[in-house]
Amino acid sequence: MLVDRGYDANPKQSDTEEEVEKNSTIYAELAELTKYVEMMTKTIRDMETPVASTSDQLPQATKHLGDLAKLTEEGTHKVLTITEEMERRRAHMMKELLALKGGVSAEQAKQVDGFLDHLKIDEQYLMNIHVALSFQDLVAQRVAKLVTILNEVQHKLLKLVVVFGLQQKMMGKNKQAEGRAYEMLKQLEVSKTSALEQNLVDDILSEFGCS
Amino acid sequence: MIDTRIKVLVVDDMSTMRRIVKNVLRQIGFSDIMEAENGQDAFTKLKAGGFGLVVSDWNMPVMQGIELLRTVRADPDLKNLPFLMVTAEAQKENIIEAVQAGVSNYVVKPFTAEALQEKLEKIFAKIQAVKS
Repeated sequence: MLVDRGYDANPKQSDTEEEVEKNSTIYAELAELTKYVEMMTKTIRDMETPVASTSDQLPQATKHLGDLAKLTEEGTHKVLTITEEMERRRAHMMKELLALKGGVSAEQAKQVDGFLDHLKIDEQYLMNIHVALSFQDLVAQRVAKLVTILNEVQHKLLKLVVVFGLQQKMMGKNKQAEGRAYEMLKQLEVSKTSALEQNLVDDILSEFGCS
Repeated sequence: MIDTRIKVLVVDDMSTMRRIVKNVLRQIGFSDIMEAENGQDAFTKLKAGGFGLVVSDWNMPVMQGIELLRTVRADPDLKNLPFLMVTAEAQKENIIEAVQAGVSNYVVKPFTAEALQEKLEKIFAKIQAVKS
């Protein structure tokens, strides 16, 4: 019986030792895990400000890209209007010179031909300006692609914001944390409404005797 | 020899590009030029009849240029209409796709007036060759 007990007791003791060993391994692993969770929490905390401010700034940046495409489109139309007018005047002048050529001497007709040659060359220059303006279409296409990419990034960031609840935490924080990008976006936004027309600038200059 | 008496349809979603292409076509000698903003708009206008040439962009909303080309080639009334693609899409697979869809010629943006004229001359030379 004793032997049996001894036999029974010994394995129990070894069980306890094993358990203690197991427990210490679990504790060590839990400690590691805790460290890891702490590190992750710190990383997420560090991420809060940039992620939240970036997700705030992206829609604005995307809008400015759209504005950029619109501005280049408007500028291109302005240049086209001017070159089209120049082309109309050039064509009219050619017509006039051709009519004039019929009523002048051979010597003068030769001179008129010289002018006509110049005008013909100008036609090519004007056409080259028109065609060079097709850069605007390429810019607009690239901007559209960038906007698509930014929208996707924004979507992913928003997911992070929602998952980690970063938005609420950011509410009370100092906006200075949003950094240079925030400042630049603010400047861009302000410039849309505060940029002065030249005549207003001239008025101010003349007030200071600088006109 | 380019037949400049025909009616041309310029298809592009960018108003600047439509204006530029129209100016180049005018310089070549075309005077009857109409515009469309996308493939669908273009197809409606083409179905109304009277067009002898389409100059189309590839990337457009609603209906892309390549889809317009396929729709035109599948239409019994329009299947032989000369179709020039003017696009920034210059990948080999794009060109192959356009050729397989039945494009008459292909101009890559940014282009020159001479390049556009040269391609149009080739299109019209082919038409003449088929006629004779």
